[in-house]
Amino acid sequence: MSRPRLRSAAAIAVLPAVMLAAGCAGAPATPAPATQAAPPSPSLNTSLDTAAGTWAAVVMGGSAAQDNNFWQLFIRPADSTRWKLVTPPGTADNGGLVLAGGGPALVTGFRPSQDLTFSPLIQTSDGGQAWSSLNPLDAALASAPDALAARPGSGQLLALLAGGTVQEAAPGNATWTVLVSQQALAATPAGRRCGLQALTAATFTPSGSPVLAGPCTRPGTAGIFTAGNGTWQAAGPALPAALAGQDITVSRLTRTAQGMTALLAAGTGPDASLLAAWSAAGHWTLSPPLSLHGSALTSASFGPGGTAAIITTANRGQITTSAGSSWQPLPPLPPGTATLAPGPGGTADALAARGGTLTVWQYAPRGTTWAKIQVINVPIPYGSSS
Amino acid sequence: MPGMNSGLDISNPAVVAAFKAALVHQGLIALFIFGLLGLVWITIRAGLPTAAAGGAGTAATAAAEPAWRRLLRIGFGLLWVFDGILQAQPKMAVGLPSQVIEPTATASPGWVQHLVNVGGTTWSYHPMQAGASAVWIQVGIGIWLLVAARGPLSRLAGLVSVGWGLVVWVFGEAFGGIFAPGLTWLFGAPGAVLIYAVAGALIALPERAWRSRRLGRLITAGTGAFLLGMAVLQAWPGRGFWQGTSHGQPGTLAGMTSTMAQTRQPGFLAAWVNAFTTFDEAHGFAVNLFVVAALVVTGTAFLSGRPRLIRPVLIGFGVLCLADWVLIEDLGFLGGLGTDPNSMIPMVLLAAAGYLALAPAPAPAAAAEPAGSPAVAAGWRDRLRIAAAPRTVASASIGSVAAVGAIGVIILGAAPMAAAQASPVADTILAQAIDGSSAPLDSPAAPFSLTDQHGRDITLASLRGKVVLLTFLDPVCTSDCPLEAQEFRQAGQLLGADDRRVELVAIVANPVDYQLGYTQAFDRQEGLDDVPNWLYLTGSPAQLAPVWRGYGIAAQIAAAGSMILHSEVAYVIDSRGRLRQEMGFDPGPGTAATKSSFAAELTDAAQQLLRQS
Repeated sequence: MSRPRLRSAAAIAVLPAVMLAAGCAGAPATPAPATQAAPPSPSLNTSLDTAAGTWAAVVMGGSAAQDNNFWQLFIRPADSTRWKLVTPPGTADNGGLVLAGGGPALVTGFRPSQDLTFSPLIQTSDGGQAWSSLNPLDAALASAPDALAARPGSGQLLALLAGGTVQEAAPGNATWTVLVSQQALAATPAGRRCGLQALTAATFTPSGSPVLAGPCTRPGTAGIFTAGNGTWQAAGPALPAALAGQDITVSRLTRTAQGMTALLAAGTGPDASLLAAWSAAGHWTLSPPLSLHGSALTSASFGPGGTAAIITTANRGQITTSAGSSWQPLPPLPPGTATLAPGPGGTADALAARGGTLTVWQYAPRGTTWAKIQVINVPIPYGSSS
Repeated sequence: MPGMNSGLDISNPAVVAAFKAALVHQGLIALFIFGLLGLVWITIRAGLPTAAAGGAGTAATAAAEPAWRRLLRIGFGLLWVFDGILQAQPKMAVGLPSQVIEPTATASPGWVQHLVNVGGTTWSYHPMQAGASAVWIQVGIGIWLLVAARGPLSRLAGLVSVGWGLVVWVFGEAFGGIFAPGLTWLFGAPGAVLIYAVAGALIALPERAWRSRRLGRLITAGTGAFLLGMAVLQAWPGRGFWQGTSHGQPGTLAGMTSTMAQTRQPGFLAAWVNAFTTFDEAHGFAVNLFVVAALVVTGTAFLSGRPRLIRPVLIGFGVLCLADWVLIEDLGFLGGLGTDPNSMIPMVLLAAAGYLALAPAPAPAAAAEPAGSPAVAAGWRDRLRIAAAPRTVASASIGSVAAVGAIGVIILGAAPMAAAQASPVADTILAQAIDGSSAPLDSPAAPFSLTDQHGRDITLASLRGKVVLLTFLDPVCTSDCPLEAQEFRQAGQLLGADDRRVELVAIVANPVDYQLGYTQAFDRQEGLDDVPNWLYLTGSPAQLAPVWRGYGIAAQIAAAGSMILHSEVAYVIDSRGRLRQEMGFDPGPGTAATKSSFAAELTDAAQQLLRQS
């Protein structure tokens, strides 16, 4: 018992209040909205290649529990080797930033935090110098780096919400409408064949058709679906017989100039492995599986020409540079590396965050170490969200 | 626990000053009550000397109060007065629910927490009234017990002590922690105030019960059974009392005492408690063995009901309780939020009263009624007749008059709390404690022409004829603005039928996310989309900037992922378009109590203007 042997002093009049409260406290239970059981996705620390340059979202600052984590957006313009801070203004971004590239433009979604329940959206078409707000989503974006997709040239948007619903906005972004829910997609013939459990990614095909992805309960099946002919059709790669008994999760999925690039996690525990998959003209090419040795994916990024780079919980980096190529281990990552930004020709930048300092390290192909090339001090507004 | 914590700093100077002022005002009224009653009594006695003489004569005819009852009445009367004085400590008004009640209930089951939360929420909504009522109710009960030695008024004091004691036991002590793990007699089980209630019940017994030795046996047997039960609990394996340390950490008892030693208190006292902690850590088994043995011996002796056996054991038990009170309970009332001296003093009083009650009270003398004392012979109904009132007052003893004064003091404390509790709205003192008092204004409000959330053009002039509550909100703000919107929404509900004459207006305070989609999303988020007199106005940055300037609002873009920095202020505009009040509108901790308090402040301001118009 703690110190006080107390005199509370709820007055005598409290007793009737207790009786009243007892009579009205039991509100009827309302059914909770169906939510998808999403498998763990790589974090929102990621990088993205667009015509304007390479973008990277990195969490910086302090404790998320105290709302002192602030997500920052950086760009390395296409004509530069230097990164610069271009975090969009106007909204507290403690909930995380979700990026979608659409040609030279970048659409950024703010995952809500604290008392905010909807997701503001903002867009830049000049490399982050000027931003303009887009119509917000009326719910929380899913916590997945591929929860938002923009169709180049058209302004059409696709958003995967935390509850498993996918919404789309027509060009002009005047209104958001429901495209499909995870439950509805799982009930289609293609969804049933997969046993779709959740949705983890949304993107467009080069022709502009929405593509959605998620984990399947049916072993050996990659849950990638595209809309066509009024229904959803399986669009994932056929996997080798060695993976026939493995649970497959689509960890990342993004559109490329030629098609799409996906990261597929196969199996669980110490037997888990990772494959990159590239599609072009409807044909998929797979990388050899990379054994994760019991570790998990913490960050995954796509670069130009189908390159992909990952970080695992073992703080190891791997890169694959073109369709069908195998994973190459990177030298031990600099401390605090949040994400990798793969560049052309097998190069990569490692973005390491510590408090308000971002340190950029660069790796050259076949190198053995990382070279520090830039330090950016970010004025973290500690306490401004609490 | 939701609602219990107002979120304010417990030393908030505005609240402390208001609490002190309330106590001073009510203290003066209490003095006035006693003074007035005394004056009336003296005056009537002077006018009716025969009645006064008869009243004095009644004392000689009644049975003498037995020693055990006098001990309980005076002992617990003093304890109630002392507890009332402790309730007057400056931090009590805000600190009691969050710093005392909530931690006490935390280890208890959910239903206990829920129940306790009801009382704590009531307190946190009305901290002034609740704090003051606790002071005056307890002081009143204490005085009442002290001055009313016999008769119905004395018994009634015992019953009131039971009633209030149970209220405190449930809401203040979370049932004394009996449903929580770690329960131990050493630390106050089953709750000090439950012993107050038991003592009150004994005081309330009719006089015929005083003369029976059976009462003494019942009290000692009950005490003995309780102590034996506590001994079993203390000896129960697996509860951590047999170990001085466990995995390098203090054991259960040493952990409790080391926590107590951190309380703000005189250094020598902390040193004693720390020394005991060290001793217990080194000899935990021996300490617990001694305690269990002492409880078994004391309990067995009390259960026997034999005075010769009980007397020496009682002395030893008193010494044990004193040691426990100092070394383990750490006196219980220090640190600025102590509410009573914990359980050991009441425990000793009860045990001693049981021992004394084993000797029967002397039978009342069969004295003849004094002549010429009709008031004595008259029944209660007769004495309450208006015509008999002067004679009744004149024949009353000074103790009875003081008891009536004490009842007045209790009512003085309970009535404002009861009135406040009837309102579900928190006091405006909480809002004022956060942002200070509002500033009166009388100047034309800056005009604006903006678009509401439905796309309609709205100007200030178009709102003429209505009182306008105006603030500035960022639709994508993650912390304060949603709270402020809820305060406006609550204000609209509190206005009731008056809300048709009041417009709740917010203007966007964000130069980036100002589009209609954002005001509409914000309204849906806050449940404001169906509030008919709610307007969330926006416009282009070029339209908004002069409005912000006109109302002295800063809305600045802050870098690196933070939200817009903007002024948090609310204005009250009268039906002629004139600014009448400016309120600080930082919502502070945003608890249920503070939100309700701001809503009440807005409502008061609007209704004040409505009354004037």
